[in-house]
Amino acid sequence: MKKIVIIRYCEIHLKGKNRGYFERMLGDNIRHALKDINHKYVKIPARYLIEEFADEDLDLILERLQKVSGIHSISSAIIVPSQKEEIFNTALSLCEGKSGTFKVETNRADKSFPIPSIELSRELGGVILDRFAKYLTVSIKNPDFVVNIDIRESGETLIYTDVIKCMGGMPVGSAGKGLLLLSGGIDSPVAGYMMAKRGMRLKALHFHSYPYTSEAAKEKVLDLARTISVYSGGIDVYVVSVTEIQEAIHENCSEEFMITMLRRFMMRIAERLANSISAQAIITGESLGQVASQTIESLTSSNSVVENIPVLRPLIAFDKLDIIAIAEKIGTFETSILPYEDCCTVFLPKFPVIKPKMEKVLKEESNLKVEELIERAMAAIEKYEL
Amino acid sequence: MNPIYFDNAATTMTHSTVLEKALELYKNDGYFNPSALYNPARKVKKNIEEVRKKVLSLFPGNYDLVFTSGGTESDNLAISSFARRGNVVATAGEHSAVYNSLTFLKQNGVEPRFAKLNKDGSVDVNSLLGLVDEKTTFVTVTHVNNETGAINDVNSIAKLVKQKNSKVIFHTDGVQSFLKIPYRISNDIDMYSFSAHKVCALKGVGGLIYKKNLPLKPLFFGGGQEKNIRSGTENTLGIYALGFAIDAFKNVDVNFNHVKALNMRFKEELASEVTVISSENASPYIVSFSIPGVKAEIMQRVLDDNGLLLGTGSACSSKLGVSRIISNCGLDKRVADGVLRASFIYSSTLEEVLLATEIIKKCAQKLKVVLK
Repeated sequence: MKKIVIIRYCEIHLKGKNRGYFERMLGDNIRHALKDINHKYVKIPARYLIEEFADEDLDLILERLQKVSGIHSISSAIIVPSQKEEIFNTALSLCEGKSGTFKVETNRADKSFPIPSIELSRELGGVILDRFAKYLTVSIKNPDFVVNIDIRESGETLIYTDVIKCMGGMPVGSAGKGLLLLSGGIDSPVAGYMMAKRGMRLKALHFHSYPYTSEAAKEKVLDLARTISVYSGGIDVYVVSVTEIQEAIHENCSEEFMITMLRRFMMRIAERLANSISAQAIITGESLGQVASQTIESLTSSNSVVENIPVLRPLIAFDKLDIIAIAEKIGTFETSILPYEDCCTVFLPKFPVIKPKMEKVLKEESNLKVEELIERAMAAIEKYEL
Repeated sequence: MNPIYFDNAATTMTHSTVLEKALELYKNDGYFNPSALYNPARKVKKNIEEVRKKVLSLFPGNYDLVFTSGGTESDNLAISSFARRGNVVATAGEHSAVYNSLTFLKQNGVEPRFAKLNKDGSVDVNSLLGLVDEKTTFVTVTHVNNETGAINDVNSIAKLVKQKNSKVIFHTDGVQSFLKIPYRISNDIDMYSFSAHKVCALKGVGGLIYKKNLPLKPLFFGGGQEKNIRSGTENTLGIYALGFAIDAFKNVDVNFNHVKALNMRFKEELASEVTVISSENASPYIVSFSIPGVKAEIMQRVLDDNGLLLGTGSACSSKLGVSRIISNCGLDKRVADGVLRASFIYSSTLEEVLLATEIIKKCAQKLKVVLK
């Protein structure tokens, strides 16, 4: 009786002739996630199996796999030779301690196995009921758990009851590379996670404004990046100072346009950096209407300076509460709410413009030496490899 | 070049002679456990008792001393021993070691009451006396406020409190006044806390002066050291250093006058640029001031880049937001946001003060322009 972990994917099934490419990529990512744990990796049709690991590593393996995008679900299972007695005994042991309703589902890929699926399910169901009549009853429609019997062609049977839902999505590496604008807030780490879930590798760009923002604020961002990097297969963080830019805007433009102007600079710098590191998209945590800089007019203003690559905004239609729920799930929320100012809060105008008109934006911007400011900011980029 | 260090209320640099002498004494045979009975250990115990005598010589009267790990532990020991029932009265300007200990007591059914402060951070004595009644069991008033330097006349306050309720046990947090403010403890003061690393000795040592036979209750249990009040093997090196620091700095009056002169020059040089919050009568070792409109944290970073280290509010309240104590001084928000603290020590020099004020003026002017 050996313990194994079964890994299943979902969307990869849709990939037709390209399925092999995605399967291989997911397989690589699975192996990478488990590389420091002793185990054996086996690929079977439409599944992956993790075998031959120490019992005490099971929880760690399950935890790691839940952070690999492309995996739809996993099950901790027992693998036995395809013998009726062994199968039945193992199934009974898995039902130990459970209560509620159940059913048995048998899948017989090995046609040489003497008992047909339906018969096996029925007989096993009866045996389970006999043993655990006090705690379990059968429900075909909506059981609390399912006893799965998977009789493989290899002469072995997989038996499991629990199915752990995982990230879903597509394997990281299958969807190109994006540059995430990472502030210390709640939203941008979640945006990064969601693109990683669709298979995008990530690099991150953080803007700070020392001495108006603290070193602690930068450290907080690096912490957030480390948390997301588990989902994105590593992450480099580029840090750019916008101190001079903010001072210039403060000096030369109307107060209420500070954020509008600043966002335009950020997007320009982001696009140039993206080009230089072959990132194919900019990713932001913008959510429509959440703050003054995220009204449709403000988004139009900041979006209009990006010329050659798409700006992806996975949270554009999400409510704040839903974003927070994801942040809590992925482990970034606690860090995000640490109270270190990011550069958007320094110089914050009392009444930031909510619906900037493009002519007004361009007029304000004409007071600034845009190109010069950008070049100087980019000349001093710092890079952190995490 | 080393930065100018004017955050001595947070901690002080260990004086080189104090450290040398302490290490010399400790080097070869200071390691013995003072509780052991063989001769070399008894020698260590004897050295520790000499330091105890030195400390007590600064507190004439019927007092004893228990060594602790520092000011925080001393405050906690005092409070947990006697703030056990009824209500206890303190001030809104207490250090968080006192303030948080008292708030914790609420869950034991003890009612903490906090007296209002004056604008300079000193306690409003009438407000304090108003909170004392027949159910009051314990009162604690800080001697010198760690953020503004305000001095509370604890001797007279203790007297007035005991006139109202003679059963009250009175404690003073003297962490910022010990070996700095000329002071003679009065009989109405039952306990007095102090800390070694504020007077150029080492971190990890402090003490609680207490009236002989006052029944202190230990915070934790073990080998029964310090007359069963404070178990745990003594911090020998730390205690040695405290003794040598007292030797070096027991000329409290001389040092006070020296620092007073520095303090006044500091304020003079900055008169046009800053709003001073500390009163004229405050401890000269601490100056609290504000540059309205310039956020304190930003100023602190810029000063750091320019070679000057100052505090904002207090190091213990460096978490964000205006410090509790400063907000209790009733200051305008614009002033409160910009509060910085300069704090001096025995070895601070006029040269340092002049250079520091230059740096402050330069940085304040630049930031005022940028942030206008």
